Amino acid sequence: MLILIVELLLKKDSSRGILNWLAILGTLGAIFSVACLNCSGAGSCCMMGGGVPTAFAGFLKTDGLAVFFKMVILLATLVTLLMTFRYLKAHPTAYPAEFLAILLFSACGASALASAQEVITLYISLETLTISSYILASFMKKDKGSNEAGMKYLLLGAFSSALLLFGFSYLYGLTGTTVIADMGKALAAQPASSLAVLAVILVIAGLAFKISLAPFHMWTPDVYEGAPTPVTAYLSVASKTAGFAAFVRLFWVGLDAPGLHYTWVGLFAVLAAISIILGNLEAIPQKNIKRLMGYSSIAQAGYITTGFLAGGQMGLTAVLFYLFVYMVANMGAFLAIVIVSAKTGSEQIEDFAGMWKRSPLIGVVMLVCLLSLAGVPPFAGFAGKWYLFGAAISQGYTWLAMVGMVFSVVSLYYYLQVAKQALAVEPKDSSPIPMNLAEKAVLVLSVVLTITLGFWPTPIMELAQSAASSLF
Amino acid sequence: MLSLLATILVPFAASFVFFHTPAQGANLLPPLSCFIAVPLIAALLIIGAPEKFSRWISLFFASLELGIGVKVFFIFQAIQQVNPTPGFQLVEEVPWLKNFGINYLLGVDGMSTLMVFLVACVYFAGALISWNITLRRKEYFVYFSLLVGGVAGAYESMDLFFFFLFYEFAVLPMYLLVGIWGSGRKEYAAMKLTLMLLAGSAFMLVGFIAMYFNSNIHTFDIRILGDLSKTGFDANFQKTWFPLLFLGFGVIAAVFPFHTWSPDGYGSAPTAASMLHAGVLKSLGGYSIIRVALPALPLGAKFWLPMLVFLTLINMLYAAIVALKQKDFKYVIAYSSVSHCGAILFGICTLQVSGLNGAIIQTLSHGIVAAMTFALVGTVYGKAHTRELIKLGGLSAVMPILGGLFVCAAMANVGLPGLSGFVGEFLIFMGAYRSGFQGGFTVFQILFPIAILSIVLTAIYYLRLVQMVFFGPLKDPHLKDEVKDGSFVEILPIAFLLVVSLAVGLYPKPFVDMSNATIAPLIAQIGGFQ
Repeated sequence: MLILIVELLLKKDSSRGILNWLAILGTLGAIFSVACLNCSGAGSCCMMGGGVPTAFAGFLKTDGLAVFFKMVILLATLVTLLMTFRYLKAHPTAYPAEFLAILLFSACGASALASAQEVITLYISLETLTISSYILASFMKKDKGSNEAGMKYLLLGAFSSALLLFGFSYLYGLTGTTVIADMGKALAAQPASSLAVLAVILVIAGLAFKISLAPFHMWTPDVYEGAPTPVTAYLSVASKTAGFAAFVRLFWVGLDAPGLHYTWVGLFAVLAAISIILGNLEAIPQKNIKRLMGYSSIAQAGYITTGFLAGGQMGLTAVLFYLFVYMVANMGAFLAIVIVSAKTGSEQIEDFAGMWKRSPLIGVVMLVCLLSLAGVPPFAGFAGKWYLFGAAISQGYTWLAMVGMVFSVVSLYYYLQVAKQALAVEPKDSSPIPMNLAEKAVLVLSVVLTITLGFWPTPIMELAQSAASSLF
Repeated sequence: MLSLLATILVPFAASFVFFHTPAQGANLLPPLSCFIAVPLIAALLIIGAPEKFSRWISLFFASLELGIGVKVFFIFQAIQQVNPTPGFQLVEEVPWLKNFGINYLLGVDGMSTLMVFLVACVYFAGALISWNITLRRKEYFVYFSLLVGGVAGAYESMDLFFFFLFYEFAVLPMYLLVGIWGSGRKEYAAMKLTLMLLAGSAFMLVGFIAMYFNSNIHTFDIRILGDLSKTGFDANFQKTWFPLLFLGFGVIAAVFPFHTWSPDGYGSAPTAASMLHAGVLKSLGGYSIIRVALPALPLGAKFWLPMLVFLTLINMLYAAIVALKQKDFKYVIAYSSVSHCGAILFGICTLQVSGLNGAIIQTLSHGIVAAMTFALVGTVYGKAHTRELIKLGGLSAVMPILGGLFVCAAMANVGLPGLSGFVGEFLIFMGAYRSGFQGGFTVFQILFPIAILSIVLTAIYYLRLVQMVFFGPLKDPHLKDEVKDGSFVEILPIAFLLVVSLAVGLYPKPFVDMSNATIAPLIAQIGGFQ
């Protein structure tokens, strides 16, 4: 994280092309340091049983869970940075440096969120993340859609943050502490009160907005459509992952008191079901690929919530694994979208026609990544959904798993529409799509990862498992 | 021609010699994994090689696969000489996700050996029939090979996770094959087929996971799940999940009312895709009911099958009646396939040794015969450029060999003794008879005569088809000069399938013995209707 901040200072004066590379380097450095933390963290855990690095008097603690979340967030940021290259070339703006700086700042907030142990820290990092995202969403000053997106996002986002803070204040009043773990103990000691239930509802409402869980999803399609595409990609992965990090900490550590548990699990089950149903159904008539991805991401949030509410070692492992898989597939698909729309200047699904002729690689990416999102074997998304729904069924949520499975089939319809355009339809214009080596490498990597993790998920599964074991 | 024969014979002989029966010594490579790997390697090579080699690579690996398939058949037969019911053989086990109890677990028993053999035969014939594909040939053969890889894996998997993975892996290339190389309303048909199959599999999947968590030992291994004394599923669980699993699998086998994907799908699919789907993928439905649903949930089966049998009866009769009224050549065959799958499921519903054996032999026979019939329709369509029955007529005047082969295929469909269809249907109806007249009153007493009616209907629509398409005066005089009879590459796969069908029909003993190796222990374990 430090490196990210240094990076911020560095690049104000640098020239344009180098900036982007610097930013990428910085993020790579951050990933590297997180990876090192992972190794050392795991090592020290084995030796001393809890030498986890902490900062700010324990308000930030980089345990295994935080490392995994950060990993996903930073990898997503990395690919987003790669996208900005092409996006900014196609859509010149006067402030490229600021764009990158704010993006990194937002990533910084997201990473801090992953290790926050205390509600104020959690709130501050969340605001760092979202306020930066408001700016990013409205970054294209001349573009009406982008402005609209930013405005909508800001208004609704501010409202939801207020709700969240309101909920936190009740919790503080009930327990007298802001540290999540102490809060959990205090709540477990007292009988369930309607005030606590109210606080839970407020917190869910506030945070559900960030991960676009229905019925708090209204902003998602508009913002996803209007925002610059790299930002859309970033929002759909990094911001969502951070939101789940907050969920996991708050609910499984802070609010898991016996009297409260069934209240919020039940609420989440309903929200997940609504998200899965609404997201998938509304995605079907979409013509704009970013809007489609917006609705799809609502449904995806629903699937992940299914695993989240099942909880325990198994559910959390499933959530982490699925977040990783979702990151790979979504970033791959968005990178392809950025590359294609930079060439065609359109974001309509029918303009993806004939990728098999124009750029077979993009065609394959569209097929593999989107079908992974749909959860079709042998792609990684299938393994991910298997664990998510498996966790849900093990906790008795068979009906929710059934809803999830049936609507995964529905989702296949719209994903296949895109894949069909890319692979089956004749293009109107068959000029090849240009892309550079780094983009090619990332696209190939996303396909390879998606397929290998489908057949052999063990490495990431084990990582996710050890990360989840830091909580349970 | 010579190079064609060499591409067929050399890999066939090589793989036939390379793999050994237990008496001949240990195998260098595991045959079952190779059976899955061969088409996948073919797909990779086709991606890498220039387009003009695509079909050669495809054929080479299809022959290799045929060699392995036939050899696996002989290996199992050799094992059966010692022990008639040897259970799963050639087992390969690699731990995959230990904490979820998922293993990469392959193995074949009698039933799956027959299916492996079937996959090999149809893959080989399909590779030959696709010889003259010109549109986007490279991609075509890639998807085609992937499809086979998926199906091969599904038949060999003993772990439900991998079973599911391979099965859905096969559906996806199917979508592309129908959507890109199909004819008619291909996009509609492709989407309908994919969505319906996957909707069925959604029920399957939830059922699998429910079984996993409700069993005493958390596992996806079907050897354990199929043993009630180990899983301890209670009666309620069995009764809840059996119909869901039956219908989930039934969608694959086009059970009424979930059969509608089948005619549209087959009507639009390119020839080799119809062959593989009708011959191999569809058979997975009945296969998995016998493999998973019956042994794992026997109480549910006994409770529900007397009701579900009505669905299969509707399949047999309704599809046969609809086939009578079709105007499109290929739709007749498609409905005939639905009707035959109904017979397979009907055989399963009898819960009798002979009925289930009949179902398996009928699966094998239907696979071969349907593939043969679709190959013929595709070839004729390629020459006459229409599939409308009123425009066709008297074609045997210009294509006598194809006409002759079609008559054979029609007879095999009808169930003429000597061809494979007869053995399966005979056993199925014997099972239905026994189920109906042994012990007390069962529903089969009434259903059995009605079911036999379907044979009569099948005979009627096939004879009508033969008469309308091949006999009588030539309707389109232009064809006389333009159209030649089938070429060597076109005749070869059809003739090959005919030979296999004859082999099963004339000497069914090894095939029935093999299916009995699965069925006899299964029925002994779960017991029929009392």
